[in-house]
Amino acid sequence: MRQPDLELIHLTKRYGDTVAVDAIDLKIAAGSYCCLLGPSGCGKTSTLRMIAGHEAASEGDIVFGPSNITDLAPAQRGTAMMFQSYALFPHLSCIDNVAFSLKMKGVDKAKRRARAAEMLDLVAMGRYGERLPAQLSGGQQQRVALARALITEPQIVLLDEPLSALDPFLRTKMRVELKALQRRLGIIFVHVTHSQDEAMALADLAVIMKDGRIEQAGSPRELFNAPRTAFVAKFIGGHNVLQGSAGAFAVRADRLHLSRPGADPDASPRGRGAGLDAVVRSVEYQGTFVQLTLDGAGSEITATLDEPTYDATPFQPGDPIAVSWNEGDVHPLAGAPSPPATSRPQLAPA
Amino acid sequence: MTQDTRPTVKLSRRTLLQGSAAVAGVAAGSGAVTGFPAVWSAEPKVLRYLGTAVNQSADIAKKVKEDTGITLEYVAVTTDDVTKRVITQPNSYDIVDTEYFALKKLVPAGNLKAMNGRKIKEYGNITPVITKCELGDGTKIGDQGTAPKKVMFVDGEHSTKFSSGMTEWATLIPTVYNADTLGIRPDLIKTKVDSWAQLLNPEFKGKAAILNIPSIGIMDAAMVVEATGQYKYPDKGNMTKPEIDMTMKVLTEAKKNGQFRAFWKDFNESVNLMASGETVIQSMWSPAVTAVKSKGIPCVFQPLKEGYRSWASGFAVSKGVSGMKEDVAYEFVNWFLSGWAGAYLNRQGYYSAVLPTAKAAMEPYEWAYWMEGKPAEKDIHAPDGTLLDHAGNVRDGGSFDARMGKVACWNAIMDENDYMVRKWNEFIAA
Amino acid sequence: MTNLAQPSDAGTAAASTALAATDAATAPRAARPRGRYGWAPPAWLQALPMALVFALFFVLPLALVAVVSLLDYNDYEIVPAFTLRSYSETFEGCYDQLPGLCTILKTYWTTVELCFAVWAITLVVGFTISYFLAFHVRTLTMQTVLALVCTIPFWTSNVIRMISWIPLLGRNGLVNQALMGSGVVDAPVEWLLYSRFSVVLAFVHLFTFFMVIPIFNSMVRIDKRLIEAAYDAGASGWQTLWNVVIPLCKPGIVIGSIFVVTIVMGDFVTVGVMGGEQIASAGKIIETRLNALQFPPAAANAVILLAATLLIITALTKVVDIRKEL
Repeated sequence: MRQPDLELIHLTKRYGDTVAVDAIDLKIAAGSYCCLLGPSGCGKTSTLRMIAGHEAASEGDIVFGPSNITDLAPAQRGTAMMFQSYALFPHLSCIDNVAFSLKMKGVDKAKRRARAAEMLDLVAMGRYGERLPAQLSGGQQQRVALARALITEPQIVLLDEPLSALDPFLRTKMRVELKALQRRLGIIFVHVTHSQDEAMALADLAVIMKDGRIEQAGSPRELFNAPRTAFVAKFIGGHNVLQGSAGAFAVRADRLHLSRPGADPDASPRGRGAGLDAVVRSVEYQGTFVQLTLDGAGSEITATLDEPTYDATPFQPGDPIAVSWNEGDVHPLAGAPSPPATSRPQLAPA
Repeated sequence: MTQDTRPTVKLSRRTLLQGSAAVAGVAAGSGAVTGFPAVWSAEPKVLRYLGTAVNQSADIAKKVKEDTGITLEYVAVTTDDVTKRVITQPNSYDIVDTEYFALKKLVPAGNLKAMNGRKIKEYGNITPVITKCELGDGTKIGDQGTAPKKVMFVDGEHSTKFSSGMTEWATLIPTVYNADTLGIRPDLIKTKVDSWAQLLNPEFKGKAAILNIPSIGIMDAAMVVEATGQYKYPDKGNMTKPEIDMTMKVLTEAKKNGQFRAFWKDFNESVNLMASGETVIQSMWSPAVTAVKSKGIPCVFQPLKEGYRSWASGFAVSKGVSGMKEDVAYEFVNWFLSGWAGAYLNRQGYYSAVLPTAKAAMEPYEWAYWMEGKPAEKDIHAPDGTLLDHAGNVRDGGSFDARMGKVACWNAIMDENDYMVRKWNEFIAA
Repeated sequence: MTNLAQPSDAGTAAASTALAATDAATAPRAARPRGRYGWAPPAWLQALPMALVFALFFVLPLALVAVVSLLDYNDYEIVPAFTLRSYSETFEGCYDQLPGLCTILKTYWTTVELCFAVWAITLVVGFTISYFLAFHVRTLTMQTVLALVCTIPFWTSNVIRMISWIPLLGRNGLVNQALMGSGVVDAPVEWLLYSRFSVVLAFVHLFTFFMVIPIFNSMVRIDKRLIEAAYDAGASGWQTLWNVVIPLCKPGIVIGSIFVVTIVMGDFVTVGVMGGEQIASAGKIIETRLNALQFPPAAANAVILLAATLLIITALTKVVDIRKEL
């Protein structure tokens, strides 16, 4: 049986005069991993909490399959939430934490503990059942929190910044496990994060939000290769946002060609397509690539070169440099607010 | 400050004393006592006066200061605490104002110094009510309990044994005494109250009160027992164990039946209980009755046919007091007996120790009303000016002789005090 | 070459210092060189002032009380002779009168009853107020202000507070006037004053504060996400209260209970004044004995009261490990 989709229709949240979420529309396909991405205050957490039922929607609807769940109690929606820093009950052992919702339903003790033990096994925490949350590491707490969310057999799991409390190494590891688990369960995960890395790695559907609105939603590849706005291009990183005669456009940092001005007429911007003149401000060695920061007439441009390319023409800070790109790598940006005139890079005539 | 009080011009003795007291006070406060000229450290006449707040009048302190230059520093505690202080902290006071019944504890403890009668000017004029338990005309009055005559005299300054007859060494120099009875609210009581038996009359269920001092409370109960004809005590103030048991049983039954609204502990409590109508009949002190009356609420210190339960208090000096300080103490006691203070006490319904000096300090109409039981010629006022009684009225209980002549017993500490206290706790727990 | 050697040496020196520092940091604690900053005073000195104050003003007097309780006495002084008289007389009849209760047991029974009533009421009232403060009052300022409101009864003197009950609860007091005026009763309600009711009322209005503060303190520390987590797991409001809020407030509840229980157990002033001196309490026995200058039995009763109170507190602390929760 095919699982239902989750759909947000004109979903709005207001706190007094402040609009936190502004009439968003979003459809999350069954079984997909959705990341809500954006800077703090963009409305991603409010959106998640409205789906969870911990915030009442001011307007709009949340539809899950055939049913409108907008006004249902959290436990009746088929959702389960994993809270930021996990919100494990500090007075209950792991197994009792996991069994909590069953206890609330009145399941008898033996049965609910057995079920909770199964869930702990699922997240490889079976050995820690009798420990209190304070006796666990961050990663272990997260697994328990996950088990607690999953024991209700939810059709949607909502995760509020689940990885932010972990150290970088653990974060990468848990990220893989989360994704694997979601695949295995085949249910919708909605995951709020402010890290584009996390979204890139996890999401089937990445939703970038800003000021209560969705800037762009799509697969990470779509987002990265075709950012629709300057905000998206900047937020997901790896892009330079430039101003052309036809408006703003984005070019990926790894698609820039760099050369010494006049050194090679073939490689000059004029010969290859569009370009501009700049000065090298800094050079950073990053291992698999070298990152150059350039001053393009007051605007900052980032370029990444692979090691051999860089070694061929090793630029030093202060060197003048010619930057060019292929027309095919230019992504025009829609309706984005233009950067201030003073920082507009000086473009060579097209 | 030091500059201002330096005696460069002639000062009256009093100004000088006040100045020196003030300086001494500042010095004591600041902890700096060095560098003063010798004249300043000489004799600030200060007495630390331990007693209950009721007796520690600001008027008396003011007057004694004017007359003698003595500064009274009042140490105000409850009746029970006076006794406790004398025994446990004899150095915390110079002169104590306490009741005669406490002497059975205080004198054997040896913390008091007997007072030398020869240094007391009016020693010979002290009322025989105290010294002999008889009226001026020689009529004997009740001496059950700790009658003052039994504990007033010792053989020497440091003697801890009481003398049976009068000697020149007095444990306490009497200051004030009275005959206590029940106070009633005539406006709220229809029955005629003329006997102690009425205290436990079921008609006043939930509206009676007694004093929360075991030794006095049990005595009130004993008055009831005798009044109802249940038993006649050889000495209500010194019961045997079976007598204590029997009396406590009477009290316990009354308590269980809800006879008592409350037991009161201090003066103001007794006034509040009566004034608010919480109680309509209770054992009381004369000035408390006066205080209720002065609020415009009818209250009578009701004479009863079985007589009064009397008490007396007086001054003693701490054993640590000697030399100059002792002279000041004697000066103060002599002042107290010299008339003004006696008149002051008489005007509140108490009785003073030396009647002739007090009489000289009172208006004849006041004396006639308070001491002779005659109708008031004019309105009667308290020392603070409060109207106490209207012209034409008579004092409750009548004349001095009529009231003190009907004393049935004195406040006491029994030989079986320890047993009695335990029984009191049992009574409270019942 | 020479001018190059200089920085190179310095570099080596710096590196070795850094290495040494790393060594020191990773070495076991015991091996860490002592006194790198000179002689360090032992840490227990920090606790010494309090320990001295405690010893001098608490342990010593308490020891004295225990000693005095074992001495003989007469009408006016303590006789320095060992005896168990104070204890045996205090417990006199406790065996003979069974199944009836002797004085001391009756008294403690009354005290414990009062204590329990006050505890139960202050707990419920205090918890409710705390809940309101912690979960319904939004700003910290308002929470502080409202918490301070609970201290208002303490702004007046004990005596004034006690006296002012008469015009309110007395036979002719406001409450009775209101009840009679509205026709609820025909005659004044007598048990409003000088009764167990008035004692409990006076305790409750004073000591609810001692419940509110620790419970509130526990409650504000509850992560609001825990409440949501419970809600998310399908818990109803009552289930959340019972399964999450109350367990997490346990330390506050126990501390508040200890405050209230110890105060009520030892009180004789409030019981005395509000009970019209007709209600027995452990403290009153001691007071009566002291007033009669019978110090050894007073001391013996103090020791008994202390033991009883400690027993109750021990039982309370069994409910929750305060050390852990603090």
